[in-house]
Order: sequence, then structure tokens, then C-alpha cells
Amino acid sequence: MSKTILIPIDFRVASLNTLKYALERSSGSPHRVVLIYAEYLEDSISELLFYRPESKIASKITPEFRNALEVLRNRFEYQITDLSIKLFHNRSRRGLRRFIENQQIDEIYIPQTYRLKMPKKAFDLVSIIRQTFIDYQEVDWPQDNTVASEKDHLEFLFNR
Amino acid sequence: MKTQTKIAVSLVIFNIVLLLLFGIGIYFFLNEYSYVDFYKRLETRAAIGAKYNLKIDSANAETFKKVREQHLERLEAEKEYIIRIRPDVSLEQQAINYEVPLSLLEAIMKEGKARHQEGSIFYGGIKLQHNNATYLSIVSANNRFVSHHLTFLRNILLWGLLFTVVVTVYLSIYFSKHFFDPIKEMIDKVKQISTENIHLRLKESENNNEISELASTFNDLLNRIETAFETQKNFISNASHELATPLTAIMGEADVALIKERKPEEYQKVLHNVLAQAERLNQITKSLLFLAQTGYKGKKIVFEVVRTDELIWEVKRLIDRLNPDNKILVDLSLLPEDPRKLKINGNKQLLHLALANILNNACKYSHNKPVAVHIGASQDQVLLFIKDQGIGIPESELPFIYDPFFRASNTRLFEGYGIGLPLARNIIRLHNGTLLVTSKASQGTSVQINFPLAKINK
Repeated sequence: MSKTILIPIDFRVASLNTLKYALERSSGSPHRVVLIYAEYLEDSISELLFYRPESKIASKITPEFRNALEVLRNRFEYQITDLSIKLFHNRSRRGLRRFIENQQIDEIYIPQTYRLKMPKKAFDLVSIIRQTFIDYQEVDWPQDNTVASEKDHLEFLFNR
Repeated sequence: MKTQTKIAVSLVIFNIVLLLLFGIGIYFFLNEYSYVDFYKRLETRAAIGAKYNLKIDSANAETFKKVREQHLERLEAEKEYIIRIRPDVSLEQQAINYEVPLSLLEAIMKEGKARHQEGSIFYGGIKLQHNNATYLSIVSANNRFVSHHLTFLRNILLWGLLFTVVVTVYLSIYFSKHFFDPIKEMIDKVKQISTENIHLRLKESENNNEISELASTFNDLLNRIETAFETQKNFISNASHELATPLTAIMGEADVALIKERKPEEYQKVLHNVLAQAERLNQITKSLLFLAQTGYKGKKIVFEVVRTDELIWEVKRLIDRLNPDNKILVDLSLLPEDPRKLKINGNKQLLHLALANILNNACKYSHNKPVAVHIGASQDQVLLFIKDQGIGIPESELPFIYDPFFRASNTRLFEGYGIGLPLARNIIRLHNGTLLVTSKASQGTSVQINFPLAKINK
């Protein structure tokens, strides 16, 4: 049976490690993957009028991130039946619960030590997930703290 | 002809032609219009004149005359003719009597109304029936507008044209000179730059126009040329040094051996040393030759479909044989499930050589600490990452790592002659791949190699 899993991301290559390790842990069953990025909604009326999540997501995807996503899709070709990226704007537990209900999420995976690097206009979903649910799964991976990680690099997906 | 004069001349010619067309257009259309207008005025006058002269509208005849005199300005040399057509008098006779052109009368008889011009005198006439008789009402006048106003306009246009031509000539010469000033300046500057002072650069102005773009392009070119110069200088000094060291050793050994008679074992030892040095020399020249061969594109290289993971395993087996202490860990956690995503077009021997060089470096410069090799594939390329925990490369020396014979300052304790990495890069470039080296001194180096995927049908 196909499972739907939710993973918070920050559009950096390193955050995709959650997906990588989550899928490695599971035993080869098919998954519907929902990547979620949390950001405050613009309050200008013109921004709201022309609000399109597709173009917003497209503007956030860097070439490194796209490559990393492609690498993962190739790696888990049979495990990922569907992969979608969603924007989330509601910073409340109830909002998050409703989102999870609507998307029919079965499992939530969050990074244990990796901190999502969210810009000013966005917020970190991991702590909200921790407060809202009890049945989330935590994933951890060896992180190279010595390398200055201001710059995003495909390398961060290839660790171990 | 200089571009400067070309621009000036073409500007002037273009401007003059445009102005001439404009002036002629104005003159021509106004001329046409004034004729039409004047004839209309003449015809109106002829109609009104007939009305009161013949008393057609008898009640208002006087009023017509009054209106005519009060409101319609008299034209220059205006004359009115009312000609009654009589069968007994011929048209020729009438024309002579009234001193009007015969062709006008004939035209009016035929068409009902007509226009005619004789010199500066214009005629307009109409035919009308009254009391069972045919009358021709004709008005003639001098077209003051044509004779006077149009001449005036023509003069204005001519003088204006002359004036604008003078201004255009002056401006185009001035501007063409002025526009080319920065280019002239640049030419002078570039002329000054030669091999002795190749460090000189052009001044790049602040504003972002074509001239400053040209300057920055020139500067980029100069940067590349300077780097090439430096590389060549380095290459020659390094190469001569590398080649001279074994030669000096051979000469020294032979010299010392020849000082006096020696035992056969001593000769054997000397010969062994000489052989070792000669072998080293041979290796250097061989690798140099290889570098030169891979560097230019003239030679055709046979490409086949190669699986990158197999290649890695083969290289690992080779290095295991040469250096059994190595700790190369091949990470397959991101290996794509579809093996077609690992296949690239390449020459197996060359790729083998390049990867062996890079992996060997990784083991060598990290004192056989673990070296991780990761394989992954995106939609259109195979990605290889090779990470070591070795001595790294100082950041200031990263730009020179692809220069032949260049060796980083922290590699004194390691053997090598600095040909491996440039060779590897040449090979990867031959395969349309990219090689990216990031490193931090004393922390490790990571090498990213991307190869485009082979396009395989099915």
C-alpha cells in the first residue's frame, strides 16, 4: 500500500537528506512524497492577486536543489511514486493539522539535528511539528560542520 | 574612408534627403491645394455674379449684390464676364469680343463648368439657362496666393533647408569625432601594451555602455593572455627543473663512480641508481607526451558506452594493487536504480587514467585516510564525488592547480611532478564533463566530476 510522507524542507540540498534517509529506512514500499516549505503570506494586495504557488516554488528551486532532487528520484525510482512541493502559510498547529488531513499524510519525517535555514519571511516547521504531533519520525545523518555551509552545494547530499 | 567620416557623410546625406523630401512635399501639396481652392472661389463668384447680373432670383438680386460687395473680398485683377450665347455669333467671335480664351468657352459649353489658367490669370466659369437663353458666367482673377505666398513659402523652405544642412553638417562632424574619442583613446592605450607591460589594463568607465563593455572585454582578454604567459613561464621553469633533477643525479652518480677504480658491486649499485633516475625521466617525458596528446583535439579518440560504477570498481582494484593500504570507500547509497543512468560515452582507457590519477592523489595526500567515492545521477548527468581528509590545497593556490608541473606549497613531502590533475582535467574535458575541485587547507579536498549521460535509445 502506498504511503504518503511529509518532509519539511528549506530548498537547500542538505535538507533533502531527510528524504534520503527516510526512504532508505522504509522497506521499499511505494511512497507519495510531499515536501513542504513554510513561509508567511505576502500582505500586499498585488502580490496576493497574482499569487501562484507554482511560480513561487519555481523561483525558489536552485539548480543544485533540482539536481539533488533528480539524483534522489533516480535513486528511489520505484519508491517515489509521486513527489510534490507544497507551500504552507499558516503558522498555527490547527492549520498544520488540517493540511495533514487534507493531504492524507501518513507519516512525517523531520531532521533531528539539522536546522532548516529559513529566510526572514519564512518559518521553521520542524518545531511546530514537534509541538503538534507525537508520532513524527526523526532522521539524523552525519553532518560536516567544518565546511562553511553558507553556499549550497550538491555535495551535502553525498555524505556518509 | 574612416568610420568617422563615413558616419558623418551618411548622416548628412540622409538628413538632406529627408529635409528635401519634406520641403518638396510641403510645397507640392500646398500648391495643389491652393489651385483647387482658388478655382472654387472663382466658381462661387461666377455663380453669385450670374444671379445678380441676370436677376435670376429677382427679389433678392440686390441683396446678392450687397452681400457680394460687403463680404466677398475683391480678388486681384478680378473681372466678371456674362456672355450670352447667340446662335448667330460664333464662339470664336465671343472669345475675341470678351477677351476670354476660346478653349474655356468650349469647355464650359461642353461640361457645364470649367477652369482655365493663362499665365497668372485664372478663369472659372459656369453655364446656366435663363429666360430661354444660355449664358456663361465667367470670373477671372490673378492668383495672388500662388504668385506671392507660394514664392514666399518656397524661399522660407530653401533658406531653412540651407540652415539645417549647415547645422547638420556641423553637428554630424562634431558628434562623429566626439563619439570616437573614447575608442581612439582605447586604441592608443592598447598600442602601449606589449609583452613587457602586459599587466597594464584599460580604464573601465562607470557607466554601462558599449565602450566600457569593450574595455572590460579587452581587459578579460588581457587577463587570459597574462595567465597564459605566466603558465608558459612556469611550465618552462618547472619542466626544466623536473627534467634537470634526474639528469643531474645521473651525471653526479657517473662522475663519482668514474673518479677511481671500483668493485663490480659498486658499479652495479651506481648503474641501478642511474637506471632508476632514467626511468623517472622516461616517466616524466611519457606523461608530458600524454598531456600534450590529450590537450589538442586533432587526434580522433574512439568512444564507447562505459558504465561509471564499473569504472570506479576497476580503478579501485588497480589502486588496491599499487597501494594496498588505501581506504577507498565506494558509497552506493545514491546509485540510481536504473543502470542506464550510469552509462556515459567515453574512452575507457582515458577515463581510467583520469580517475586513477584523482583517486591516487586523494590517497596519497591524505596518508591513506579514508577516501569516499560517491556516485549519483541526475536526469542528464552522472555525478561523481571524491572526498578525502588530506592536506588540502591552500585557497590562494586553487587557481593554479591545473597548470602542468604546478605543485601546491604544502606538497613538499610528497612525490609527484604535477601532471596528474591537468591530465585528468584534459581527459574529462574531452568527454564534455566538468571537474570541480573545492578544498580547504589541512581539512581535505573534494572533487566533483560531472559527465553527461550517454543518449541510449530504449
